[in-house]
Amino acid sequence: MAASRAGARQRNALSNDDIGIDKRLEMFRLQVEIRDCEKRAYDLFLQNLIKGTSHLSLGQEAIAAAFGAAMQPGDKSFCTYRGHAHTLARGVGMEKMLGELMLRDIGLMRGKGGSMHLTSVEHGVMGSYAIIGGHLPIACGSAWRAQYLGDPDVAVCFFGDGTTNIGAFHEALNFAVVWKLPVVFVCENNLYMEYTPIGDVTAVPHPAGDRASAYGLERIVIDGNDADIVYRSARTALERARGGKGPSLIECLTYRHSGHSRADPAKYRPDGELDRWLERDPLKIYRQRLIDFGIPANEISRIEERSREKVEEATAACKASPPAPETLLTADVYDDGGWAWRN
Amino acid sequence: MAELTYRDAVARAIAQEMRRDERVVFLGEDVAKAGGVFKATVGLLEEFGPRRVRDTPISEQAILGAAMGAAMTGLRPIAEIMFSDFMAVCFDYVANEFPKTRYMTNGQLSVPLVVRTGNGGGVRFGAQHSQSIENWSMMIPGLKVVAPSSPVDVVGLMAAAVRDNNPVIFHEHKALYSIKGEVPDGEIVDTLGTAKVLRSGRDCTIIALAMMVPRAMEAAKRLSAEHGIDAEVIDVRCLVPLDTQTILGSVVKTGRLFTVEENPRLCGWGAEIVSIVADEAFWDLDGPCVRITTPHIPLPAADHLEDIALPTADRIVERVSRVMNGD
Amino acid sequence: MGANVVMPQLGETVAEGRIVSWFKKVGDTVTAGERLFEVETDKVTIDVEAIEAGTITEIRVGDGATAPVGAVVAILGGASANEPIPTPKAEKPTGDKARDVAKAAPSLIAFEEVRTSRGLFGKALQDGIRVTPLARRLIAEQGVDLKGLLADRSNKGLDRIAIKDVQAYLSERGTFRSMAPHAATAASASLLPPSLPVGPRDQVVAFSNIRQRTADRLAESWRTIPHVFQALEVDFTAVDTVRKLQKDAFKAEHGLALTFLPFITKAACIVLREYPEINARTDGARLIRCGDINIGIAVDLSHKGLVVPVLHNADELTVPGIAKRLGRLVEKARTGKLGADDMAGGTYSITNNGAFGTQFTAPIINAPQVAILSSDAIRLRPAVVSTSAGDFIAPRMLGMVGQSFDHRAFDGAYSAAFLSRLKSVLETRKWDQEFG
Repeated sequence: MAASRAGARQRNALSNDDIGIDKRLEMFRLQVEIRDCEKRAYDLFLQNLIKGTSHLSLGQEAIAAAFGAAMQPGDKSFCTYRGHAHTLARGVGMEKMLGELMLRDIGLMRGKGGSMHLTSVEHGVMGSYAIIGGHLPIACGSAWRAQYLGDPDVAVCFFGDGTTNIGAFHEALNFAVVWKLPVVFVCENNLYMEYTPIGDVTAVPHPAGDRASAYGLERIVIDGNDADIVYRSARTALERARGGKGPSLIECLTYRHSGHSRADPAKYRPDGELDRWLERDPLKIYRQRLIDFGIPANEISRIEERSREKVEEATAACKASPPAPETLLTADVYDDGGWAWRN
Repeated sequence: MAELTYRDAVARAIAQEMRRDERVVFLGEDVAKAGGVFKATVGLLEEFGPRRVRDTPISEQAILGAAMGAAMTGLRPIAEIMFSDFMAVCFDYVANEFPKTRYMTNGQLSVPLVVRTGNGGGVRFGAQHSQSIENWSMMIPGLKVVAPSSPVDVVGLMAAAVRDNNPVIFHEHKALYSIKGEVPDGEIVDTLGTAKVLRSGRDCTIIALAMMVPRAMEAAKRLSAEHGIDAEVIDVRCLVPLDTQTILGSVVKTGRLFTVEENPRLCGWGAEIVSIVADEAFWDLDGPCVRITTPHIPLPAADHLEDIALPTADRIVERVSRVMNGD
Repeated sequence: MGANVVMPQLGETVAEGRIVSWFKKVGDTVTAGERLFEVETDKVTIDVEAIEAGTITEIRVGDGATAPVGAVVAILGGASANEPIPTPKAEKPTGDKARDVAKAAPSLIAFEEVRTSRGLFGKALQDGIRVTPLARRLIAEQGVDLKGLLADRSNKGLDRIAIKDVQAYLSERGTFRSMAPHAATAASASLLPPSLPVGPRDQVVAFSNIRQRTADRLAESWRTIPHVFQALEVDFTAVDTVRKLQKDAFKAEHGLALTFLPFITKAACIVLREYPEINARTDGARLIRCGDINIGIAVDLSHKGLVVPVLHNADELTVPGIAKRLGRLVEKARTGKLGADDMAGGTYSITNNGAFGTQFTAPIINAPQVAILSSDAIRLRPAVVSTSAGDFIAPRMLGMVGQSFDHRAFDGAYSAAFLSRLKSVLETRKWDQEFG
């Protein structure tokens, strides 16, 4: 039995598999870990251990995981305040991320930025941005630098459907096309802009896809809940950018399992909508994908168990971490580490 | 040594820095082929080419956002916002993104860029193209704010701004573009956060910025000749970092403070300086601190009206002499 | 051992919640994820689930009751207890690294950001006469007869007193007092130079932190210490012979050059033991002879300032040991990594200026030390060498070694004797024995 399963895996490795088992395992692991870590973040918020605000990515894991697997380590990602998944998908440790949400010293920025500004330059996570649309031109700037210096990295910029209605979106798209910049714009269309259905506030049915032609770009609208589909699209767009062919705009259709932020238990959604989307849960889809590709059940379970262990280890480490010392209050306003506006 | 106009000094400064460091790049609207609407960047495209000197669409947010992304990842961009009034269009980057990034990321990212902009009135462009907005940037923690008054200061302070690893907002004055001044040959680098005492005096301290500086100097000459008042004139040059030591050192000597500010009255840059002086040098003051400013109104287009609105040498002389005499 | 069930954080600005109804009662066991109660705020109504398994041992906030966010609403026995939040560890403020252009001004407190002027010098309105702050200060500080002054002004029909009025009043009575500035910025008030006028061709260069600290320290030393300088010529040929022999091996092993400085330092340590008044500190009233010999070595930071890191207990080191420790300190100095420990505790200093070929240097003493040694260029020069066969002229490695000393601490003869002994050690010691 084991032999034929191994044989099946090998067969699939040779025929139709343009993605490869290793990448698939990586994408599954990332999605599982993002899911488990976000669920823990939800619990910690209810326990008042995470304060302020927290925008969860439950249900949208496939997009972050697929891009995380498709990007090279040197690529630069820019995401919004809903950036926990994208941070984890670039390899940032859970304790650093949860620690930042809990505003402890162990956190990625020692609690100075909080949930909405997760940044890890070391992993290419060049900031999470809270001003809607603000980071699209910034991503263009990183791409401009790559183009100017001849660096091989690509800027990948994640944002929600609501962003497509703000001025900076249009400026950035136009700018990126006119300068032919190596940047990939990824719109995660989860069908709601804060509490409002996207159709109520957007002039076209597909907020990103239907606007691509305004900038001379190809219309790309894909199923954002299937990591393989996202991966292929990501790979194509990254190759295009790296090859000097300019930007892409990709709209990924997905759904948010919880409300916009913790304040919102999402009771504005029509009955049955959530249930229909839960059927298309990215983790459900991808678990089955691995089985289809002959991954043994115990290997899948091992990934899931290890993920839960990592969440527990991270939670314990964060709970044991003190808040940052008060001296951090005035540190790093300026590049010399200080805050002096006068002598 | 050469005599340069203020506008030529801008190009000279940018060229000096671009020659020195390949990472310095320059973008803005009509800055390359046209050499800038104020002709302040003529010759840069010819010398450095279209990869380093780039014209952009009319997209202020994209200009500043792209400058920031490039600065965060290794370049040292200079971005032009044509009229300083337009900073309001892209103010998100000036207020929310540039100055907070280093702090929020706990030092992981820096934003070494310069935004240069045509500031100030006196050129009949009307209310939306004539404002002095240097105080807008002064209010936001994490920026540096510069406003030179002479060609040599343009070169030296621009060089210092480009070499600074923080976001610097560099306010050039539109009405000063055609003034001339001596500029030494060779590389010039000044120091941000240093004010200059342009005229030494015993009786009162007059602090001015940008276009108000030559007016304050003119007023000081007349205060001496006509009223026997020996005024010390200080060009602040940088609002942030602020050279409070030079200012306080002057006020403890004279006991009297006047500011001359082109910005409209409320929350002008002089208000902060008066506050610091009233706090730290209270027992050195021999009379009230007085601010001489543009009134708190939009600026008219009509030339005779605009001319009365902005502080003139006449108004400075009148106000200082009246207050010094105890009226 | 039980875990607290708290009123959850229900929204960004929500401060309290009302429990609509409990789904469990005291004594019920719950599993992780089971609903516990429903809670309502002005914005939302949600179900709250158990985070972990346990048994409800106590309900503190019941149906219909309201509690603030974070308040304990029930206790879950058998679940792990809540950990308290650890206390933050102390950390040196990084803000101090900031380069502010302070001229001897104390640093700013974050929540004040000003150095508020101190002192109370009386009311602004006195007997119907307004007195400026500056005038009030002069009156108070100099003990001016205020009643008399007020009466005088009142008689003249004037309702204001400014500084010139006080000074005029005093002049009329034959006294005049000048005012020192009061603001904290002018802390070293009498030292404030006149405002420097700046012409169009001039360039203002603010002193860096290091430059300013160096400047202030040197000015203070120069002002308070009566410096006397003496020098003599030392024949370094014997030292140089050993140095040349050892330098390649030393470089190969430690990556450092072997200069004359470690030899001079070692010699100084030996002689300082014999001249205890020199390895000392003074405040102008007494001398403290130091038991340890900690030699400060002046290091130039690429012409941007001087630092004087300290070789502690230098007398316990050999010449190669000194050279190695010195190499490390110089490296730390040049990369800005010197710590407080590296800079503290010096008892004697040495400055080496030979690199540019100068003949002698009269250095400034590093207060509160009482002396500082200087060495300059050591070069081949003609010297008279006495042998049994007669006196000959021979090329020898010669250099001036000088000492600036505090004439309050000891006299010229003592210092000269020290230098003479130092010369003798440098010229006759068996230096090869330092390199085991």
